[in-house]
Amino acid sequence: MKNVRVFYRKFGPCKYISHLDTNRVMIRAIGKSRLNIWRTEGFNQHAYITFALPLSLGFASECESMDFRVLDDDEDLSAIPARLNECLPEGIRVFRCAEAVYKPAAIDSAKYAVTLEPMNESEISNIELSEKWEAFLQLPEINVEKKTKKGMKTVDLKPYILAYEARQGEKVCFDLTLPAGSTLNINPNLLIQAFSDSIGTELYADITRVGIYTKEGEDFA
Amino acid sequence: MYPEKIEKLLLKVQKPGRYVGGEMGAVIKDKQDVDVRFAFCFPDTYEIGMSHLGIKILYSLFNEKPYIWCERVFAPWLDMEEQMRAHDIPLYALESGDPISDFDFIGFTLQYELSYSNILNMLSLGNIPVLSKDRHDLNHIVVAGGPCACNPEPITDFIDIFFLGDGEEVDLEVIELYRQCKKDGKSREEFLQLASQIKGVYVPSLYDVSYNDDGTVAAVTPKNGAPAVIEKRVMMNMDESYYPDNFVVPNIEIVHDRAVEEIFRGCIRGCRFCQAGFLYRPVREKSVECISKQCHALCQNTGYDEVSLSSLSSSDYTQVVPMLRELNSWAKPENVSLSLPSLRVDGFSDDILNEIKTVRKSGLTFAPEAGSQRLRNAINKNVFEDELMNTCRVAFEGGYTTVKLYFMIGLPTETMDDVADIPLLGKKVLDTFYSTPNRPKGKSPRVTVSASSFVPKPFTPFQWEPQDTMDVLREKQQHIKKTMAENHISPSKMSYNYHDSDTSYLEAVFARGDRRLNKVMYEAYKRGMHFDGWSDCFSLQAWFDVFEACGIDPSFYANRRRSFDEVLPWDHLDYGVSKAFLRRECERAYRSEASPNCREKCMGCGAMKYGGGVCYEKR
Ligand code: SF4
Repeated sequence: MKNVRVFYRKFGPCKYISHLDTNRVMIRAIGKSRLNIWRTEGFNQHAYITFALPLSLGFASECESMDFRVLDDDEDLSAIPARLNECLPEGIRVFRCAEAVYKPAAIDSAKYAVTLEPMNESEISNIELSEKWEAFLQLPEINVEKKTKKGMKTVDLKPYILAYEARQGEKVCFDLTLPAGSTLNINPNLLIQAFSDSIGTELYADITRVGIYTKEGEDFA
Repeated sequence: MYPEKIEKLLLKVQKPGRYVGGEMGAVIKDKQDVDVRFAFCFPDTYEIGMSHLGIKILYSLFNEKPYIWCERVFAPWLDMEEQMRAHDIPLYALESGDPISDFDFIGFTLQYELSYSNILNMLSLGNIPVLSKDRHDLNHIVVAGGPCACNPEPITDFIDIFFLGDGEEVDLEVIELYRQCKKDGKSREEFLQLASQIKGVYVPSLYDVSYNDDGTVAAVTPKNGAPAVIEKRVMMNMDESYYPDNFVVPNIEIVHDRAVEEIFRGCIRGCRFCQAGFLYRPVREKSVECISKQCHALCQNTGYDEVSLSSLSSSDYTQVVPMLRELNSWAKPENVSLSLPSLRVDGFSDDILNEIKTVRKSGLTFAPEAGSQRLRNAINKNVFEDELMNTCRVAFEGGYTTVKLYFMIGLPTETMDDVADIPLLGKKVLDTFYSTPNRPKGKSPRVTVSASSFVPKPFTPFQWEPQDTMDVLREKQQHIKKTMAENHISPSKMSYNYHDSDTSYLEAVFARGDRRLNKVMYEAYKRGMHFDGWSDCFSLQAWFDVFEACGIDPSFYANRRRSFDEVLPWDHLDYGVSKAFLRRECERAYRSEASPNCREKCMGCGAMKYGGGVCYEKR
């Protein structure tokens, strides 16, 4: 038995598959692919899979991963992506399969490519939006209400912006790195919602997760 | 692919996965390569529509033809409709994202009367003129099939063509005719007239209906050479009938998310309240080999690990145990579980239990429909109390502790004593639990009793019967509660659910309505009514207001007893069962007399004329 991790992209219509439904889609794909993997016991037996870091509904991703155990130690891992892709909807594409290097707990941060635009184009121009966004980022503190296990809490998001890089484009585009993982996870929508509230304009954010990293800054592998 | 414009709106609505397509098994073609585009519309949500077998069969069947591209369309939920209307996004099909106004055919499946308002609403969301008379060119042919097509009179102003009976052949014949008419530059009228000559096709605009002074139908008169009687279509050889080897597999959870295999069509029983039991006569079975082959292909192509073996009454399949054994020969090693819904009380044998419980246990559900034997005889539901108790005992010994029992109230000939027998039957099930020596130890039993209101339907022996008024239905519901209390039945062991009688009332009006109800439908649509099958939207008062505005008395349709010689609004449609037979069955009901099923004795319903199925089995 080997612990195996597959990496996949999620995009297009598949952005709108919730985490729970992604789980079901994957179990069905594994069943269909006839991959020989470890299954749960009991009444409702099914392939046992886990996900290192859930993805929010509506986000695309370049770097999702899913773990399972193959029963045959000689299983050809390089053949697994093609076998799974045949059984998955177009918007989920597996591109790599390897033995897991890190434990999911090693995840420390994630990078998101974001494109911002007003929900209603006539409300504000891209240039004006871009200026307001730059100004917003210069604020000494960005306080938001965040849901925690102990109820609502005010947190300053500013220190959590681990890296920021504007990208060229007609619209407001940037890459943003935020804490991620099971202990502290900051959703980029928190920041965008705070910005939207501050300027009183409803925004649409196209968000793609482009990287997941360990504390040492290595790609989560 | 969904239209780009909706991307921004999707995160503002619940379950956006409903609106984006992109599933495994969805058929994508190049629209340049096809002659006919067919928008298959289900007038309810994605989760409900995607669970429906008929749409899966026809979707695959149509798409097998290189010249047809059939796509799926579902009713957007309220939040999405609001967004679409606010942003001028017309109703679109999930495969191409193109608006339904780009399509040649807009086809609806008529599963329940309360979805009619959604049909009108969907047409309007798609910018298709709602009234047939406002559609002029040879495109936007609005067609409809499914069980409610057996009395489509309340929606004849909106639908151009109804398909009666099994759709597998007739739909393709009409599509092929359309393609030819298009090539020949024929007009819409010419096409409709030619279509009316095809067996199983009802073009309502080719019929005039006249009325008597008392409001009943005087006559239905065909014109332009349309046939006086329209006969349903039947697929007689089920093994050779088309069945898909793949389904569109949804990415989001739907109501019935599994492979489905139809094991036979029709029902031998003839329960007098059940429309399906008469519409789909005669019973036609698939062979075990065919079922096994089709199921296996479906599981392999979809990745589903559960197959539901579907029919109106699974245990009436003649080869049920051999079938389960054959299926399990591959299903077990492949970790596929089998489920057998619609089991009859007397069909619940040890043998069956062994084959299905090996993989999964689901709760037990039975439908005695009536509490007393007298009333069960009258409705021809041949379930006997001792059988029910035996079956429950077997189930309890097998480790089950919960039993659900379904009943109807408001059945013809029902008395208050019959009603009181409903909870008393539930109590006997509880008693059976405690008298079963090998019952699960340390667990307490739970019985759920559900009662819905009876709706008289066309093509049943009760088609002439009045529906109980809502006051009477409420009184009967109260009587069940009272009986429970008087007999000290603990609510923790037996719970009682009843379905709202309001929706049943509207269903009763439209089920046996005539063409004058078109006006009501149209007014309701103009008032923005939709999703009447959902308690979120349904308001009976709003409907009463519409009836009043239209000057129509709904109780004429719901609560009136018809005489046996009245011309019924659907008399020009022929589903194989004769009016004389239905009348005989109704009279037997009045005498509380049950009838043998098709395998015991042929009652001469008329369906023998189709030349096959159960009518020709050796008895
Ligand atoms: S003709 Fe006889 S056997 Fe055939 S469906 Fe009717 S009652 Fe049943």
